[in-house]
Amino acid sequence: MNNVLAIAHKELRSYFASPIAYIVIGFFALLFGWFYIGILDWFVRQGMQMGPMGMGQSNMNVNQQMVRPLLLNMTVVFLFLLPLITMRTYAEEKRSGTIELLLTSPLTDVEIVAGKFLGAMGLYAAMLAVSLLHFGLLFAFGTPEWKPLVTAYLGLLLFGGCFISVGLFISSLTKNQIVAGAATFGVFLLLWVIDWIGQGMGPRAEAVLKYLSMTEHLDDFVKGVIDTKHLVYYLSFITFGLFLTVKSVDSERWRG
Amino acid sequence: MIEVEHLTKRYGPVTAVQDVSFQVHKGEILGFLGPNGAGKTTTMRVLTGYMPATDGRVVVAGHDVFEQPVEAKRRIGYLPETPPLYPDMTVREYLQFVAKIKGVPSGDRKSRVEQVMVRTWVADMAGRACGKLSKGYRQRVGLAQALIHNPDVLILDEPTAGLDPKQIIETRRLIKELAGDHTIILSTHILPEVSQTCDRVVIINKGRVVAVDTPHNLMGRLRGAETMFVQVDGARASEAAAALAKVPGVVRVAPADNAATGAFEVESEKGRDVRRELAKAVVLGGHDLLELRPTRVSLEDIFLSLTTEEQPEEAAS
Ligand SMILES: Nc1ncnc2c1ncn2[C@@H]1O[C@H](COP(=O)(O)OP(=O)(O)O)[C@@H](O)[C@H]1O
Ligand SMILES: [Mg+2]
Repeated sequence: MNNVLAIAHKELRSYFASPIAYIVIGFFALLFGWFYIGILDWFVRQGMQMGPMGMGQSNMNVNQQMVRPLLLNMTVVFLFLLPLITMRTYAEEKRSGTIELLLTSPLTDVEIVAGKFLGAMGLYAAMLAVSLLHFGLLFAFGTPEWKPLVTAYLGLLLFGGCFISVGLFISSLTKNQIVAGAATFGVFLLLWVIDWIGQGMGPRAEAVLKYLSMTEHLDDFVKGVIDTKHLVYYLSFITFGLFLTVKSVDSERWRG
Repeated sequence: MIEVEHLTKRYGPVTAVQDVSFQVHKGEILGFLGPNGAGKTTTMRVLTGYMPATDGRVVVAGHDVFEQPVEAKRRIGYLPETPPLYPDMTVREYLQFVAKIKGVPSGDRKSRVEQVMVRTWVADMAGRACGKLSKGYRQRVGLAQALIHNPDVLILDEPTAGLDPKQIIETRRLIKELAGDHTIILSTHILPEVSQTCDRVVIINKGRVVAVDTPHNLMGRLRGAETMFVQVDGARASEAAAALAKVPGVVRVAPADNAATGAFEVESEKGRDVRRELAKAVVLGGHDLLELRPTRVSLEDIFLSLTTEEQPEEAAS
């Protein structure tokens, strides 16, 4: 475990020593702020229209009508930002030769991969934390439920974890971080639209592709429900991504 | 301390190292000498557990590198051909990170890092980012990194490459100081380096070991470079060998490798053709001469392709 933390710490350091962390967090803050203000504006106007009609504020649900669409929309942003987080993890170590240090240290492949995953998750969590500040404001001025917010963030962490595990795997396949970034974006996009592809392919295919779609599983979390079905989906997805990464690093040794 | 048995490494169709065997004893400095592309780096990468062998066995400090990689790696310090530095870490941060992943106990880490920095003359750069170091300093930080966990075995891939003459002398002195406590393998393509630093030399060419000897003997063999293969009827082989050794101009007579009794390698002074005298000595001694031919002067060929000048490389960056 110490080894895993040592690698994770190193990864986080290197994110913050390079522009990557600031670009990722900055863009996220900007876009999130933009969406947030837009939706807040809409929400407030809706409330004012409803007010005079006698329906009262009570029918307006902050969680359902504001937090939920906002977070689901924000996941699009991850398509662009998460490849930036994962693209260099392995590619850069291979290019610069530091992979030789890691692979000749008394570490197992699993420890190295887990450390890199944790490091990337750390940056991702830091990015998400920015959005918490905005939601904090909601608590200052209203009374949203906090439970759906907690499950929503758990869902987002798992959702991002899937992308990050895939991104790590792709980064382990090349020496070139730009190639890794572009390929990762492509694969994310595919995972993103996979349920659209299924439309019109018959009910069976539709159901399967819908199950594979990552966004599909997020909605319940954002609604405030933790369904084991979704939990299992995300955790097995992450495990599979990390497993592929370990295998890739291992086979890289054989190829030299 | 290090046992390499029948090591073979193929990259797809390319055989980089073939059937290499040698041993390194505790406290010894073994030089791994060969021209570029000989397979030095490949052998070292297998020894350090960076990549598995296609065939063969490597045991370091009692641990099989493939069976017990973590145990073996704990006991190995490795300086790769390019020092594996993280450009945005300072030298001190970098060494602390390496100390951590090499398993130096957290209580000892700080003092160990400072100690090693002094030892490798990088203490004055402790706060400098690794990416901003000169080639010489990079190499030394690489050396510091290899030493940090006080490993039994040090594997150094071209440790003096790219250094200026003063740094080369300092680095060689440091390596010699480290021997004794550590068992060291260093690779080089520079001939004088092995004679100045190493106790024993393995010469490797095109992935195969062509000679294992002390630097002194190797130099002798280089000077007496004319080698004949002589085979006599096996009956009184040792008498025949004595007769051959008496021929004027002959430097060394040794039983030929992998051959029947009565087969010898005869080295003579350079530029002196002793074939007639050898034949005469055999026949006059009453032996039957079966074969007499010059052997390929492989060792010399290899030496020719080695760098013999003590020049610093084109200092890249
Ligand atoms: N990763 C690799 N893939 C394919 N061939 C390689 C690889 N690394 C080295 N080789 C080949 O293996 C041989 C030995 O290389 P190397 O061990 O680097 O030699 P040296 O370190 O003695 O210069 C060379 O012919 C080289 O081209
Ligand atoms: Mg080499």
